[in-house]
Amino acid sequence: MESRDRKKRIKRRLYHALLWIISLVFFSPILWMLICSFKTKDEILTIPPKWIFTPTLQNYIGLFHRINFTRELINSTFMSLSAVLIAVLVSFLAAYSFSRFKPKGTDLIMFILLSMRMVPAAAVVVPIYLLYAATGWKGTYSGMILFYAMFSIPFSVWILKGFIDGVSPRFDETAIVNGGSRMHIIFKVVLPQVRPGLIAAFIFNIIFVWNEFLFNYIIGGKRTITVPVGLAQGFTVGGGIQWEFVATLTAFYSLPLIIFIFFFQKYLLVGMTFGTVRGEV
Amino acid sequence: MGSIVEFHGVTKRYGKTEILKELDLKIPENDFTVVYGLPSSGKSVLLRVLMGLEFPDEGDILLRGQDVRKRPPNERNLGYIPQDFALFPQKTIFENIAYPLRLMRRPDGEIRGIVQRAAEMLSIDDLLGKLPTQLSGGQKQRVAIARGIVKETDIYVFDDPLAGLDFKLREKLFDDLKMLRERLSSTFIYTTSDPLETLSLATTVAVLHEGRVQEIGFPEELYMNPSMLSTMEILGFPIANTISGTLVTRDGEVWCETGLFSFQVEQTESGEMDEGNGQVVVGLRAESLTPVENEGESLLKAEVFLREDLGAEEIVTLDFQGRVAWTMVQTDVDRTAYDLGDIIGVKIESGALFVFDARSGRRIGKGKGTLHV
Repeated sequence: MESRDRKKRIKRRLYHALLWIISLVFFSPILWMLICSFKTKDEILTIPPKWIFTPTLQNYIGLFHRINFTRELINSTFMSLSAVLIAVLVSFLAAYSFSRFKPKGTDLIMFILLSMRMVPAAAVVVPIYLLYAATGWKGTYSGMILFYAMFSIPFSVWILKGFIDGVSPRFDETAIVNGGSRMHIIFKVVLPQVRPGLIAAFIFNIIFVWNEFLFNYIIGGKRTITVPVGLAQGFTVGGGIQWEFVATLTAFYSLPLIIFIFFFQKYLLVGMTFGTVRGEV
Repeated sequence: MGSIVEFHGVTKRYGKTEILKELDLKIPENDFTVVYGLPSSGKSVLLRVLMGLEFPDEGDILLRGQDVRKRPPNERNLGYIPQDFALFPQKTIFENIAYPLRLMRRPDGEIRGIVQRAAEMLSIDDLLGKLPTQLSGGQKQRVAIARGIVKETDIYVFDDPLAGLDFKLREKLFDDLKMLRERLSSTFIYTTSDPLETLSLATTVAVLHEGRVQEIGFPEELYMNPSMLSTMEILGFPIANTISGTLVTRDGEVWCETGLFSFQVEQTESGEMDEGNGQVVVGLRAESLTPVENEGESLLKAEVFLREDLGAEEIVTLDFQGRVAWTMVQTDVDRTAYDLGDIIGVKIESGALFVFDARSGRRIGKGKGTLHV
């Protein structure tokens, strides 16, 4: 009896050890990135790697002395926040309509909406470039924000429709019978009940827009440059890769997102299941 | 007593399906009217049309004597208690109950008084500070009812509010609801698909079947003396037994022959017989089918097929040579319960047999005299 218990315990310990090892393997690039951001260029390139070194903040100071960095950071922040906020608002209203009024062909429209995200980005980049070049939106803030919002809407509609479907139409009716307007129903009755869905939609899209490179590179301009594009442009200097710059910039740029997701991670599951697994949120 | 709500030939379609078919209904003032019907018989649609959540395709609706066909819901001044509570999860019980008053922008002090009174009436005044998630199903329903009545109007609409609650809770709420109606002295319009709920709550029952009100009247009257086959079939528990039969004339008297027995028919005054056809359906309530101990006086023989114990009563399914019927028996301590496969004698009073026209479903007569096997 006792030996079986012990065997079980050891087995569980082994499983846990294995899980830890796998997690660390996956975490190692991030760790490498973090460590390197505090090393000098020479220390980064030493073989075998130097584990004990005097950390330096020189890289971070250098980062802010780059001509474009502040602008890139402001662009990234401003464009991703505004695009995602627009997307979530539009999606919420669209999802409400789909859920309550069920226009003809709702399922088909929902499918088409999502299929936009099934197409690889590279496949649509040329037509979108032509469209933006023709309309003169290329390189404008409004053009970029609208593009990112457009790209964020399908997924948000899916998440939010799942949530709004879960809010009984009896709420709407109770409001209507007592004299509540449609705006009252949407923003005062339904919205407070789908807050987790709004957060989930927000997180999913902010991850995408924050890290987006391709479209900013192609349809953006000098003015609208974001950090990922800035990273690509400052990657090499004189034929050599600037490892300390890459490490520092990525470490710094990932930080807000990592912190944000750490606090809202329970909403990730909600997003990935389109609001069908709501659990505790 | 005048009627406060009137439906005149109201038709409501969803796509091509007619949910309400030229429905006529008059709901008496200051009364507890239960609209009873099987699930998906159109009860909810009837209420939705009444409240103005949907507009009828045809027909008129008079509310307090005025045509409200195209009036929006907020102009109808109705209290509404929805089926699935619909309590705001993020609001306290107090705010949930106060919701209709907040929408009407009533002053705070006034709201406090009204909410307090409503909560006391439903004995939930100790829950006002809590959130809906902290409440049990029965308490939630009380909150939903309290929210429905704070409007202090003269008509309250209950859309199957006790569905999903367990039996004990429902029985408790029956009395409270009846008392509440007395205290508010207003009109209650209530839908349900539960026959016991209907018979215990209603002062007036409207039986809704296939989009039409089949019959309206006092509950005992509809139960004891149904004039439509559908009323007899659906209003009651267990559901009434039916057997098809044919009308024949013997020595100038009308007889009804079923495969199992025949009896003389006493025609209802208004009940016209369809002579060309003569096909009828005979209805018999489970409790009118009595198993008898004494073999001598029994007329029919049946095999015990299934037993369903309800505690004080038992529903016994009997097999009459391939035809199945239910009976309700009291389970006494000293009496031996039947065993499956037992052959027992069964007595039927011919007066308990209702004869309906097979095509129209209208009652054309009742049994009389002795039953011939």
